[in-house]
Formats: sequence, structure tokens, C-alpha cells
Amino acid sequence: MVFEDIYRDYWNKVFRICMGYVNDQDLAKDMAQETFILIWRKLPQFRNESAVGTWIYRIASNNCLRQIERNNRMPKTELPEQIEDAMEPDMEWQSRLLYKCIAELPETDRIIISLELEDVKQAEIAKITGLSESNVRVKIFRIKEKLTQKFKQYERQY
Amino acid sequence: MSDNIDFKELWNRGKASAPDVSEIFAKANRLTRKTRCKIWWSNIILSITILLMIFIWWYYQPQLLTTKIGLILILIAIVMFLITTNQLVPLLAKADEETDGRHFLEQVIRIKHKQEFLNKTMLTGYFILLSIGITLYFIEYVSRGSLLFQVLAYGITFAWIILNWIYIRTRTIKKQQKAINDIIARLEEVNKQFDSPPGP
Repeated sequence: MVFEDIYRDYWNKVFRICMGYVNDQDLAKDMAQETFILIWRKLPQFRNESAVGTWIYRIASNNCLRQIERNNRMPKTELPEQIEDAMEPDMEWQSRLLYKCIAELPETDRIIISLELEDVKQAEIAKITGLSESNVRVKIFRIKEKLTQKFKQYERQY
Repeated sequence: MSDNIDFKELWNRGKASAPDVSEIFAKANRLTRKTRCKIWWSNIILSITILLMIFIWWYYQPQLLTTKIGLILILIAIVMFLITTNQLVPLLAKADEETDGRHFLEQVIRIKHKQEFLNKTMLTGYFILLSIGITLYFIEYVSRGSLLFQVLAYGITFAWIILNWIYIRTRTIKKQQKAINDIIARLEEVNKQFDSPPGP
């Protein structure tokens, strides 16, 4: 397994997980970089006991959880300024709104829904988070419901 | 409520230009160097302290055993202080990033609890050793002076010790505890989320 390949294939995926967690472009980029530093260091010991994707997502989501310990900071919940000028709700705008809504969820829900949106299988999500598969299924269902509600509510507001 | 929003499509629009891979390597190396530098730095301070003690011992040639014990106690106190303040402890106990989220959080919480205990014990130990050490160290030199000098020297020393014990020690411990307890509370709250279904 070559690090450069992992980096190329997973950069955006890891970035999106971080972005869903903090909703702050710069911070998410920093966190993604930290994740890849960890991956680079740990790669020689990686024994293929789990799929490489599961392994990477574990490191990425644990690094997100590390944020709690670091600064207690709450996720940025404002939308970037230029968005308010947008007359029509285009996709770009909606995409940013989605990240904002996700970052407002409880920490573990942010990680679970991010992995789900990243098309990670529910069995893998269970392995990444340490929850049971049935629990993951129920949670995803409820988080999606909550997210849809939140999203529509904001859409009306802006 | 219609579910016609394609969240996956919106989600996949989140992209950031990846920095060149060499930047990751450079950053990793910088971090390693920083950690190594930190360890080096505390080693240098430790060595200087020990050398200074040896110099005092050799230059002033203390006669009484109390002076020697005092010097050793002060030395141990300084070493203890350096170990805790240099955060060498977190370097020894690290949470495993490759485990699942739930276990990871449990590990971090356990480490924080240990750190909390260690900080408190080490700081108390530091003050006790330093106070006893200084008192013992002074005996030889103070006993050579006049009565007034003796009273003054001990008076000032004890006042300083009491001030340390009551004011500085309590305040430092309180400050450290607050910071660490806030983090523990926050970590435990997140850990509970694993058990509970998402709220309404």
C-alpha cells in the first residue's frame, strides 16, 4: 500500500469528514493534514486486519474527536458572508448549508452521517464507531430525519 | 415531509485542493523535530540543575548532613516539577487512533483522569519536598548568624512556604483541575451520545 495512492484517493473523503465535523474550511484542511500525518506514520504497521478504508476512517474520525480535548471550541455555525447575497439557492449554497447543518448535530452523529454520506457501508460504520450494526441503522435513519428537518428550516430562513 | 433533497450529491461537492504530498511529509518531520526538541530542552534544563547542585556541594563544602539532604530534596523537587510541566506524561500515555471511536474516547478519558491525579500529586509533592529541602539546607548557614538573623531568615522562609502552600499551590491546582475537568466533562458527554438514540 503506497501512501501517495492513499493520499490521492482519500484526501477529499477525509476532508469532507472533517468539514462535516467543524464546518470551517481552514480548520478542516488542517485536520485532514493531521490525519494524513498519522496515516503516514502508522502505515508501516498496518496489517490489513481491516479494510484500508475502515482503518483510514477510524483515524480520521478519532482525530475529529480529538478536537474536544484540544480547545472545546464549538463548530462554526455561520454561513460565509457571500452566501447571503445569493439570490437563488444554487447547489453551491445548498451544499454549504448541508455542512452547516451537519456540524450542528451532536459530535457522534456528525461522524455517523458523514460516513453514511461518504457511502461507507453500515457494517463498516459500526466498526469505525464501535456501535452495533442495528444501532447504526437506527441512528442513521433518525439523523437523516433530523437533518432534513433542519435543512428545510434553514432553507426557508435564508 | 418530502425527502427529495439529494444529500449525497450535496455532500460530494465539498472539496478542497489537496496540498502537495511533500507538504505532508515536511509537516510530519517538523512535528517529530519539535517533539524531539522539547525532550532535548527538558534534558538540558535537568542537566544544568544537577550541575548547579553539584557545584554548590563542591564549592561551599557543606559540613552538616541536613544541608546535603536539603540539596537532594530540592533537586528531586525540581526534577518532579520539570517532568510534569514538560508534559512528558502525555508522551508516555497515548490513545490508540486505530481503534474504534467508542474505545478511543474511553482511552482519552482514562488518560485525562490519570493526568488530573498526577498533576495534583506531583504539585503537592513538589511543594512539600521543596519546603523541607530549603528548610534543611538553611540550617547550616543560618546557625552561623546572630539570633536576629536566625529569626529573620526562618521567619521569611516559613512565610514564603506558607504563602506557597496556601495560595500558589491551591490556585495552581484549581486552575489545572478546572481546565482538565472541563475537558473530561465534555468527553464524557460525547461518549454518552454513543449510548443514546439521537434526540428529537
